[in-house]
Amino acid sequence: MGVAARRDLRGRPQEELRDLVDEYCSSRLFQNTPDVHVLGNPYLRPLSPETVGELDFSQPIREEAFSSYGSLVANRMLLNFYESESILLPRDGLPSAKDDFEAFYDDRLRDVATAIRPSLERYAFGFLDEAVDVAGAWTVEALHAHFMRVVEEADATEAPGLQAIRRLERPEDGVDTLLIQLALDGLTEASAMARNLGGAYGPEQSELFKFFIDEFGAGVYEAKHSTIFEKLIASRGLKTDVHAYWHFYLTGSVAIINYFNYLTDDHRKFFRYAGALTFAEWTFAKFFTDLAKLLGELFGSDVDTHYCDEHGHIDVHHGQMTFENLLLGLARKHGDEVIPELVRGVEEIRLLARLTDEEFIRQIGWADGLDEHRDRGRRLEAGEEIESVALEPGHPFGTRTFDRPSLVSVGSGELDLHTGGENPPFRLAAGDAMLVPAGCLHGLRAREPSTYSRSLVESDAGA
Amino acid sequence: MKIATLDVRDHNTVFVRDDRYFVLEHEGRLFLVQDKCPHRGGPLSLARRSPDETRLTCPWHGSRIACAWLRRRSVPIVRRGTEITAYLPEPAVASSVFLAKRRIVANEVSAAPEESIESERRVAVYA
Repeated sequence: MGVAARRDLRGRPQEELRDLVDEYCSSRLFQNTPDVHVLGNPYLRPLSPETVGELDFSQPIREEAFSSYGSLVANRMLLNFYESESILLPRDGLPSAKDDFEAFYDDRLRDVATAIRPSLERYAFGFLDEAVDVAGAWTVEALHAHFMRVVEEADATEAPGLQAIRRLERPEDGVDTLLIQLALDGLTEASAMARNLGGAYGPEQSELFKFFIDEFGAGVYEAKHSTIFEKLIASRGLKTDVHAYWHFYLTGSVAIINYFNYLTDDHRKFFRYAGALTFAEWTFAKFFTDLAKLLGELFGSDVDTHYCDEHGHIDVHHGQMTFENLLLGLARKHGDEVIPELVRGVEEIRLLARLTDEEFIRQIGWADGLDEHRDRGRRLEAGEEIESVALEPGHPFGTRTFDRPSLVSVGSGELDLHTGGENPPFRLAAGDAMLVPAGCLHGLRAREPSTYSRSLVESDAGA
Repeated sequence: MKIATLDVRDHNTVFVRDDRYFVLEHEGRLFLVQDKCPHRGGPLSLARRSPDETRLTCPWHGSRIACAWLRRRSVPIVRRGTEITAYLPEPAVASSVFLAKRRIVANEVSAAPEESIESERRVAVYA
């Protein structure tokens, strides 16, 4: 042939990877339905399979493409892979979802996931190798100095996402979008950590177990963090089913959960995990204290902030415990050789958190200014047309991002634009053109038989 | 510890009182190494790099320093994009950190084979 078949980084031919991805996505569990929310069944995770064919997972994304559609889809699939290794049962009992339970944990589906997971992990997280490097002769003293420097920097101000919510016209929508992102982990909290509890690694193992016990309410269901998280989101009128808001998780929110699973699933990455966990535990305390304050300012006593108060309290201890007894403990015991990996974990989670913050701020800013983006869209000249779509009421619903700023122009009918799990849908009528910045998550539903087209625009600058 | 942050597009050298460090590029990674030959303190930033890129030859006495040896003893750093944060040893006397951009000969790949000065005099080797 003369031309070598393109292969992914593990040597798998691209065509084989694509075939396996197609097979995985063709599971009936991952098909889209007309529903905006996924209720009562933790196994249904729509992947919009008809759009996956356009993606090439054979080479890692670059940092700039963190919120690209390929990144979103890869992370959705990875989340499925990881969660198929934990126990999920419907709140109201299994009978209504028994077939889906069997299908979710099906041998063939798991075999396919096992085959493609390394390629997708490389695709989703390979950019970290380029973006972050830790070199030199690290010592416990240098580790101590670096960690204190980065957590002091993180704790110096309110989290960027919370600051951005305060700037919105409708901060309540921003809060709900944030809580929906937190629900991704809040309702299955510490599942990734569970992978690192087994084995025998001395006092540090017992230290990790203490966090786990706290997360799980010391065996008391009412005190389990996921239980009190449910009360928080329920007090805002949000749905408490696991992954009810599947369509509205931003890429970064999924990627951070996946990152911890990615580290805990490969025990060679244990030291990196310890670094990432320590940074997260330390900074949670301030974040949740600030979130409780923001919720109080916006909603008074109407919102149940016990979850935030609990994290604000316990994570002060967890931060100190992880730092003193896990991070420094591992460094002292296992020597300077492991310190670069500990630091790498700190740095990688810092980078992922920053990218996730930027994405969240971009999303809530766009969702808060849809009128303005529609007005700008009307004035913009559409460039190359990418697709033309006819949409009927009852058509399967899905969400996505665009990799480049785009105009969604309604030719006929009327559409609802969804930008958040509970944000009021934004009505688009015939003749409207909505500017959708790159990386902003959205989905469309037809209120009546409608047509729309998507075209590229030069830039969303100033939007 | 002394903390220095530098963008490698603007700076490649760090001064802390009398100590000087430079950014060594090796195998696609960056390292901050002391600009001081372990033999007699010659300026390693002006050392020639061997064609196979594994060694530096000090301009003072021709000592050959393995890059791997330098990497193992380099300053602990975190690189994020083009920005480096370095954790330098605290100098005995309080001192500020200064940054500079200089020519780093040690990062230039030499096309010529290494001169054979071994036959002329004994050369220190750090592997």
